[in-house]
Amino acid sequence: MNTPDAKILIIDDDRELGEMLAEFLSPDHLDVSACLSGEAGLEALRDTTYDLLILDIMLPGMNGLDVLREVRKDSEIPVIMLTARGDDVDRILGLEFGADDYLAKPFNPRELLARIKAILRRTRSDERRGGRVAVGMLEFDARSRRVDAGGQPIRLTGTEFELLRCLAESPGDVVSKEQLAREVLGRRHMPYDRSIDTHVSNVRRKLSDAGVDNPSIQSQRGVGYLLLVDERGG
Amino acid sequence: MRSLLLRIFVAFWSIILITIVAVAAIGHSYAERTRIALQNFEVGDAVFEASAALQENGREGLTEWLRSLPGPAEKLFYVVDDKGKDLLGRRLPQIVRMSLRRFGDKDARPPRTRRDRPNLRPARPFTQLIGPDDRVYTLFVVPPQTVRAEWIADRGVGGLVLLALVVSAVVSLLLARTLSRPIMQLRSSANAIAEGKLDTRVAEDIGRRGDELGLLAADFDRMADELQRAWQKQTELTRNVSHELRSPLARLRVALELVRRKTGDLDELDKIDVETERLDELIGRILEYSRLDADSRESRSSIDLGELLRSVVDDVRYEYGDLGSEVNIELNSDATCTTNGYPSALRSCFENVLRNAVQHGRDGGDVQVQLDIEGSQAVIVVEDQGGGVPDHELEKIFEPFYRSPTTRDAARRSGGLGLAIASRAVTLNGGTISAGNADNGLRVEIRLPLAA
Repeated sequence: MNTPDAKILIIDDDRELGEMLAEFLSPDHLDVSACLSGEAGLEALRDTTYDLLILDIMLPGMNGLDVLREVRKDSEIPVIMLTARGDDVDRILGLEFGADDYLAKPFNPRELLARIKAILRRTRSDERRGGRVAVGMLEFDARSRRVDAGGQPIRLTGTEFELLRCLAESPGDVVSKEQLAREVLGRRHMPYDRSIDTHVSNVRRKLSDAGVDNPSIQSQRGVGYLLLVDERGG
Repeated sequence: MRSLLLRIFVAFWSIILITIVAVAAIGHSYAERTRIALQNFEVGDAVFEASAALQENGREGLTEWLRSLPGPAEKLFYVVDDKGKDLLGRRLPQIVRMSLRRFGDKDARPPRTRRDRPNLRPARPFTQLIGPDDRVYTLFVVPPQTVRAEWIADRGVGGLVLLALVVSAVVSLLLARTLSRPIMQLRSSANAIAEGKLDTRVAEDIGRRGDELGLLAADFDRMADELQRAWQKQTELTRNVSHELRSPLARLRVALELVRRKTGDLDELDKIDVETERLDELIGRILEYSRLDADSRESRSSIDLGELLRSVVDDVRYEYGDLGSEVNIELNSDATCTTNGYPSALRSCFENVLRNAVQHGRDGGDVQVQLDIEGSQAVIVVEDQGGGVPDHELEKIFEPFYRSPTTRDAARRSGGLGLAIASRAVTLNGGTISAGNADNGLRVEIRLPLAA
C-alpha cells in the first residue's frame, strides 16, 4: 500500500537517534521532525499539525507521561510511545493515559515503521469510510471518528475508537485478542502483552463515565472480548 | 524535664502522695471539728443536763437533749434504754455494745473471736440515769478517737479505697495511653514502610512530644528519609543505567537498518541484529533482577494464583510454540487459590520458572505445571523433562549467572538470571522456592502463603 506523505513528530532527547530515524523513515514519504524536550514538543504540536507522535517516556525535565497527559487534553493525535524494556509500569501507565501503542527501546526500526504504517492506514481508511452505525446506546460516525451516547460525544483515542468499532462490527461474538491486535494495533498479538487489555479497560471506563451500560464489553477469559448488546435496552 | 521516666515517677508518686494526704486530711479534719465542738463542752455538765432533762420530761426530754447536742458531740453520747436500744435509734458503736455486754448483761459470755473483741477501751464514763417512770437509761460517752476509727470503719475505708482505685486507674490509663499510642503509631508506620510506602513519616503525630518517644519519632523519620533517599538513588541509578546502556543500542539498531538499506541483507548484519537483541534482553533481565527488591511502585493486592498461572502458561505456550514442548497445567484445587502479593513480581517469577523449564526440556519434552493447596500454603510445582541438575548444584541454580556445566547452552539464552529473578520474586512475596530432581528432569517447587 502506498502511504501518502505524513508528518511525524518525534520527542526524544537523543538527537542522533532522531536524525537517523528521520533518514530511515524518509524513503517511505514520512516527514519527520524531532524535538529534544517535552516542552519543545508541546510547542511544536501547537504550531503545526502532525499525523502521528512518537514519544519517549524517558525525557529530561518534563517526562513523557506528563507530555502525553498534556497532549491528550485537547488532541486525539495517534501516539506511539517508546518505553524502556521491562518497565511495565511506564508502559501500562502510558496506555492508560491514552497512548495508542508502544515500543520497547531499543526497538527494531522496521517494527516502528510497520506500526506507523498500521496506524496511518487506519486513520486514512476511516476518512474514506462513511455512514453512521448505531449499537445500543452508542452511535458511531466513522468519518469523523466519533462515538456519541445520546448526542453526547465520548472522547476516545484513535486506538480506543478502533477497538470499540471492531467489537461493534459483530456484537455478541467473541473477538480474539489476536484479531483485535491485528485490526486495532496492526500487528501480531505478542505474549506477555497487556496492550489490548489496557485499551479495553480504558474504553470500559470511558463508557461507564458517560453512563453507558448498553452495550457493555465482556471478557472471555483466555480468548478475547465481546460486545454485549441488550436489544430491549437499546 | 519532660522525660518519660520522670513522668512515670511523678505520676505514680503523686498517686501515693494523694492517697496518704487524703487519708490524713480526712482524719485530721474530723478530729479538728470534734475538738473545736467539744472545746467548751464539759462531759460532767452534759451528764447533769441529761439527768435534768430526764427528770423534767422523761424519755422525750432525754431524747430532745440528745438531739440538741452540737454536731460532733452527738456522736459521742449514746443513751441506751433498758431494752438495749439507743434513744435516737442509732446503731450502737462496737465499744458501747461491748460495755453493755460486760456491765449490763450478767449472762453475757466473754467474746470469743478476735473480731468480736477489737482492741478498744470500753466506753466511759458510764452513768445510769433513772427516769420518772423508773426506767433505767444508760449514758455512754465514747472517746473521740474511737469515734473517728468507727467513722472510718463505717464508711471511710470503702470510700477511700474506691476513690484511690478510680483515681489511680484514671491516671494509669492516661499514662498508659500516652505511652502506648505513639508506640502503636510507630508500629503501623514501620509496617507501612516495610510494605513499600517509603514516604511514611511520624513526626506530625508524635514528633512534637519533648520526651524520648518524640526523639524516637524524629530518629524514625530520619531513618525513613535515608531509606527513601537510598531507594530513590537506586531506582534512579537503575533507570539511568537502563537509559545510558540502551540509547547506544537504539542508535545501533537504526544505524544497522540504514546500513542494510545500502548494502542489502547480509548474514553478518543479521548476526549483529541478533546479538544486539540479546544484549538488550540481558540488560532488561539485570534491571528486572535489581528492581525486584526495591520496586514499591507496585502495591500488594490479592492474586488469583490459578488465573495467573493459566495466563502465564498461555503466554509461554505462545512464545515457545515452535519448540514442540507441551505445557500441561493441572489445578488441583476446587477453591480459588489466592495470595496477597506483588502481581507483576509473581508473574515474572512464574514466567521465568516456566521459560527455564521449557528451554531445558527442549527436545519436545513436556512441562508439567501443578497447583495444590497444602494447609495454609499454595504449592506450585513445575516439572520438566530436561534430565535434571546434579544434586550438588540444586542450591546454586538460584544464584545469578550461575552456569551449570550441563546447562551452559540453555543458560546463555536466558541470561542466567531467570531462576534468580524467580527466587527473588518469591521471597518478595513471602514464599519459598526449592529445586529437586524428579524422574526425568528438574522439579521446581514454589510455596506461597495463602491469603487469610
